[in-house]
Amino acid sequence: MNPNDVLAKAENLRNNLSSGFRDEIVKSLYAEAETIAKRAVKTAHEKRYDFDQKIDRLVTSPFTGLPIMLILLAIIIWLTVSGANVASEAIANVLFAFGDWVRALFVAWNVPWWITGFIWDGIYRGLAWVVSVMLPPMMIFFPAFTFLEDLGYLPRVAFNMDWLFKKAGAHGKQSLTMAMGFGCNAAGVVATRVIDSPRERLIAILTNNFVPCNGRFPTLIMLATIFVAAGYGGFTSSVIAAAAVVGVVLIGVGFTFLMSWILSRTVLKGEASAFTLELPPYRRPNVSRILYTSIIDRTIFVLWRAMQTAAPAGAIIWILANVPFGDSNLAAAIAGWLNPFGLLLGLDGVILLSYIIAIPANEIVVPTMMMMYTGAGMMIDGPGTSEAIRTLLVDQNGWTMLTAINLMLFALLHNPCATTIMTIYKETKSYKWATISVVITLGTAFLVTFLTASIARLLGWA
Amino acid sequence: MNVTFWLIAIAVILLIVFLPRVGLFSQWKSYRAAQEREQMEDALKHLLDREQGGRHASPESLAGTLSLPRQKVTRLIEGMETKGLLESRGDQLHLTAEGERWALHVVRAHRLWERYLADEARMPLEQVHTEAHRREHSFTDAQLDELDAALGHPTRDPHGDPIPTREGTLPKAEGTPVTAWPADRPARIVHLEDEPALAYEQILAAGLRLGQDIRILERTPQRVVLSDGENEYRLAPAVASNISVAALPESEALKREAVPLTEIAHDRRAEIVTLDDAVQGFTRRRFLDLGLTPGTVIYPELQNFFGDPRAYRVRGTLIALRKDQAAQIWVKPV
Repeated sequence: MNPNDVLAKAENLRNNLSSGFRDEIVKSLYAEAETIAKRAVKTAHEKRYDFDQKIDRLVTSPFTGLPIMLILLAIIIWLTVSGANVASEAIANVLFAFGDWVRALFVAWNVPWWITGFIWDGIYRGLAWVVSVMLPPMMIFFPAFTFLEDLGYLPRVAFNMDWLFKKAGAHGKQSLTMAMGFGCNAAGVVATRVIDSPRERLIAILTNNFVPCNGRFPTLIMLATIFVAAGYGGFTSSVIAAAAVVGVVLIGVGFTFLMSWILSRTVLKGEASAFTLELPPYRRPNVSRILYTSIIDRTIFVLWRAMQTAAPAGAIIWILANVPFGDSNLAAAIAGWLNPFGLLLGLDGVILLSYIIAIPANEIVVPTMMMMYTGAGMMIDGPGTSEAIRTLLVDQNGWTMLTAINLMLFALLHNPCATTIMTIYKETKSYKWATISVVITLGTAFLVTFLTASIARLLGWA
Repeated sequence: MNVTFWLIAIAVILLIVFLPRVGLFSQWKSYRAAQEREQMEDALKHLLDREQGGRHASPESLAGTLSLPRQKVTRLIEGMETKGLLESRGDQLHLTAEGERWALHVVRAHRLWERYLADEARMPLEQVHTEAHRREHSFTDAQLDELDAALGHPTRDPHGDPIPTREGTLPKAEGTPVTAWPADRPARIVHLEDEPALAYEQILAAGLRLGQDIRILERTPQRVVLSDGENEYRLAPAVASNISVAALPESEALKREAVPLTEIAHDRRAEIVTLDDAVQGFTRRRFLDLGLTPGTVIYPELQNFFGDPRAYRVRGTLIALRKDQAAQIWVKPV
């Protein structure tokens, strides 16, 4: 009997199967499993469920459920933002001190300036910057998030939020991947693996970038403090700055829902879909598992991908800032060329160029911008006080309130960083979806900033 | 400087327009070719549809279906004749064997896609036709075989129409003429014989259609009276014998004594009777994987504060289901 005969016979037999034979197979499997379980497992009483039920009632009730959720999210973000500052500075000090030391050695050995500059002011500085800014927030955010995950609380959040996401054609678990996006969009994209329905998973992947990640928060906070809250004193100013950042985040959430709604009704209409959500029993968090998942699977994984893209970016930034062109350098020339387009969007050429060369990581956008505004030869922090930054940006480089607000919007909506794009490709195994993720975010960013700039100009505000 | 710039600009524009495969010109050409193919395939389907209905297509009917001006239709018909897909005899258009094979291929693609969209993408039934129509073109037999296998070799589309096999045969409609069916058993119409055409037209004019669930109210040598619960249909026995029926699927009978899971009040136990036949594909597999098999005890335990979804306790685990999905699980309270 050759293989074709077997296939032919199978084909014939298949036609005689009743339509429900798959159901029957599963039914018999479950029946078998049940008999085995009954023989092997003894249930004393259902007391454990009662306890779980009490917690479930608490975290899903309208009066306590929503506040618990918001408070937990606020605590995690506050821990991350405030805790990361200190650690970032410490790491930066160590890494930059080491860099300066080796650089001094290179100078002492009479290595040509362009080799020293390319390696230490370009590649190494890019790497050191990304590591020092990215690592601490992730080391705080991911373990905290993984703790809630391990506890079994997160599926309840998905359960609470599902109603809202259903309206947008998405899955309740997207609330979790969005929360993860606050830590890092690449990690948020990886986290969409928990969504088992292909269509809803793609929606979550393609819209994750509308949630500002750790790398973009500092930019938003800086702009909110220096521009939006400028002119208010002490406490009022920090409240206004915080409100501005929350406002930007809410705009991002709004765009997430809008884009989810559009996607589920257009390009993703024909993808497979089904909603189910398991709510596992609560369990005691396992510390070693939390550390392993959050450090190895998430932090190191993201950091490694970011470093792979940050090194070449550092090199390119250095080259642009140090190759002479006309009476200035290449960076200034390109920025000047991009300027009309930037102004159309209420931004300027330097901002656009920074976003182009800082695609690998949002963390280096501001340092690159500062480098170009001050005319330095490498990425720098910019002036130390808000006043000095204001003087640099407003008086010397023509920023207005419109520039600040549009930069906040652009930072929120623009294309995913290279790490995230790479991750989207790896998760979907498709250039199509990776491209679409860039097109829809960049398109939204251009459209929104163009509209706000035009409206502001028409009304005479800017 | 200026001259160089313009030379480069012109060269780039020329490249964008004329580059083989990716250039605008060749893109436009392949778009046109796809459109022509689509038109031709739609024409083939129309001819097949007419022939299966016992009539023949004419250039007028074709122009009407494709909403094309007569001139273009004439050109389309000429083109298809040279390809050997149809023959026009007088005012009638006939499919050749090759034309019929191709038409059945398109019908197969259409109905498989309808099955996919309804089962896997959970698209509402009234939308699947339009979307499947958009997708049915430009598939090879091998690709359709893959789709067919992935869907578990369905024999009917979501509307109950048979899906042609790869060899181009329509599965025989199993069924008994309604005149020979036991009068006390409800049944579903599985086939309407289209020969002779006169009888077929009478059946359609009466308002009977494929997939309808009916009961026999009266059957005498003079007339047969059928009912679908709302309307009564009177037919001559000779006409009624062209209607084939089969037993209702088992789930239909089970559903009569069951209620949808959404009707079960909080913390009330129920036993799963059956999954609705409308749940197929991906969702059904998920349901079965989660252990939502007939005979399982299930009860609502947790309510979302917006009322949807609800979480149900099944075999010791808590599973949240949205209202529209829970409505497709039929249970009886215990």
